[in-house]
Amino acid sequence: MKRTWLYAAAALLALLGLADAIYLTVEHVTGQSVRCTIVAGCSEVLSSSYAVVAGIPLAMVGAAAYFSVFDLALLAAFGYRVAATLLTPLVIAMFLVSLWLIYLQAFVIHAFCQFCLFSAAITFALFVCVLVARRVKSV
Amino acid sequence: MVAISSAHWPPLWQPRFETLMKRILPFIIILAVLAIALGSAWYLTRSIPSSNTVVGSQQPVPRSTSSASPSSPGSQTPAPQTVANAGDPGAEPPHVLGPPTAPAQLEEFGDFECPPCGMFHPILEQMHQEFGDRLAITFREFPLVPAHQHALAAASAAEAAGLQGKFWEMHDLLYERQKTWKTEFDVRPVFEGYAREIGLDLERYRRDMAGEVVAQRIMQDGKRGHSLDVKGTPTVFLNGLEVPFESLAAERLRVFIQREIDRAGKQK
Repeated sequence: MKRTWLYAAAALLALLGLADAIYLTVEHVTGQSVRCTIVAGCSEVLSSSYAVVAGIPLAMVGAAAYFSVFDLALLAAFGYRVAATLLTPLVIAMFLVSLWLIYLQAFVIHAFCQFCLFSAAITFALFVCVLVARRVKSV
Repeated sequence: MVAISSAHWPPLWQPRFETLMKRILPFIIILAVLAIALGSAWYLTRSIPSSNTVVGSQQPVPRSTSSASPSSPGSQTPAPQTVANAGDPGAEPPHVLGPPTAPAQLEEFGDFECPPCGMFHPILEQMHQEFGDRLAITFREFPLVPAHQHALAAASAAEAAGLQGKFWEMHDLLYERQKTWKTEFDVRPVFEGYAREIGLDLERYRRDMAGEVVAQRIMQDGKRGHSLDVKGTPTVFLNGLEVPFESLAAERLRVFIQREIDRAGKQK
């Protein structure tokens, strides 16, 4: 039962991450985030070369990742074991990418975007959630 | 008979239904979330540009942000407006590249520390080369303080150079070497190096940097920007109409400028 709730919590966290990533994607696509505004950070981070991977906005990749995490966590909460197995490596990969992105913001771009930091916080919470879920008994 | 059937039916179908629901429910939720996610992305894509000063890609026509403009946002052929008629006047005289009578009057609100402004600089230079005397480019200071720590110093350096008739030389250097100075702790010696490079009287430059004239010019340009509802940089107006941010790429900006020139030609 406890494990089920942890996966349900992970699904909810993924929804928050998805909302954040969708907002950032829309900002990127419409060009809003690329323009400099009075709020520091986001324009620097989102107009940097690291914001796009192979022509695709990183925020869009993030949205796809969060949607996948949501799917797998939900299925895991409903007892699909394969989903739980797939969820762990995906969340670990996202955790590592988040660490890399924080490093880039702190030491390469020298600017922080609050939406990117929120996404990183969600990923860290997901990481903890999934690791704990793997350790606890299913019932 | 009725009693027998009611006693037998529930155990037969209820567990099946529950099992079926348990299997199907997550997929229904997933589909619902996917629909909501795509729907909200579509809604945001449409609403964000129309709620701000930037026009969405669905409307590749410049629109006016000034309250003085009579043309509606949805108009496909907005009437050109001279910038002098709209908003606060800004610093006088403005920094203009090209003849003041040019049929296409472009006004940029820029911040020397803003990376997109730095990327826009070569595009504007290309437009200047292509259109020559048919295009006049006005630069307005819009340093985003405190977002950009050196923006005000850079604007001051450009204005101080302007007082010695070398605004555009300093403007070009600041944009071209943006990546070099924006990470510096103290930009003053860097800008003094640029001042020396373009042949400014260094003593006068230092005095002007800290002087009232430079500060007033920056403030007046900022006032003009605010009166035109400028929220970020670069913001570009063409004959008084704001050019959508996503249309600041050379190939689209060229079309807009050419259209203004053609329109002026027909009116003659």
